[in-house]
Amino acid sequence: MNEIKLIDDHIFNQGTHEDALLLDALLILNPALSNQIRWQKKAHTIIKQYGRKKLKAEIESVHRKLFHEPIHQSFRLRILRLFRPG
Amino acid sequence: MTLYKKAFPAVAKYVSKMGGSFDGAKDIFQDALVIYYEKTVSASIELQTNEQAYVLGIAKHLWAKKFRENVLHTSLDTYRDDIMDEEDMQPSPAKLLHYLETAGQKCMEILKAFYYDNLPVNKITELFGYSGVRSATVQKYKCMEKVRETIKEKNLAYEDFIE
Repeated sequence: MNEIKLIDDHIFNQGTHEDALLLDALLILNPALSNQIRWQKKAHTIIKQYGRKKLKAEIESVHRKLFHEPIHQSFRLRILRLFRPG
Repeated sequence: MTLYKKAFPAVAKYVSKMGGSFDGAKDIFQDALVIYYEKTVSASIELQTNEQAYVLGIAKHLWAKKFRENVLHTSLDTYRDDIMDEEDMQPSPAKLLHYLETAGQKCMEILKAFYYDNLPVNKITELFGYSGVRSATVQKYKCMEKVRETIKEKNLAYEDFIE
């Protein structure tokens, strides 16, 4: 768990100078650690994609409500008028 | 919904003026909202007093970029950060994401709360019903370990496969 935190701090540039030195030392002692850093970076990429996917789904659900529910009709017409030809 | 109602009209008006369609305005606006959210939670911007103007600014930037590059679906990919640029990714993140969504939904939700939504740990403790801040933090690291291991296994299996 400390290792995960140490790598997180390294990825996000949040660690202290001592943390960076510790990570360097651990990398010398255990070269396989560089692979763990690689996987953890990929994990962050995937977490970000997951977050975006969920957020976009929430936004789309708001859009659907605004453009389909009768209560929002005046808003909908106001927007659609902007795209009317002529 | 409030921000959508407040900010979408200005973006739609701009895109319409620039000759874009309703669907084009919708895509640009939704991408702009995602970027605005990410900037807000990562504290790289102060909370805006005029958030509509800020979202419109992002949308104009996205539109200009799209227009310049003449690419229909540039959108969020242009905002990839260093982590995403790190190296080529095989197997594709989309496939891994699909697998992780199915096999470890709870962990993905916890990690999203910590890393994407940047929620404070006490809020996460409450949201997920943990007994305390410590168990929420332990769970975060356990989940990261699990996701990391899954990625490692899938990547190694893929590398074996293509060799």
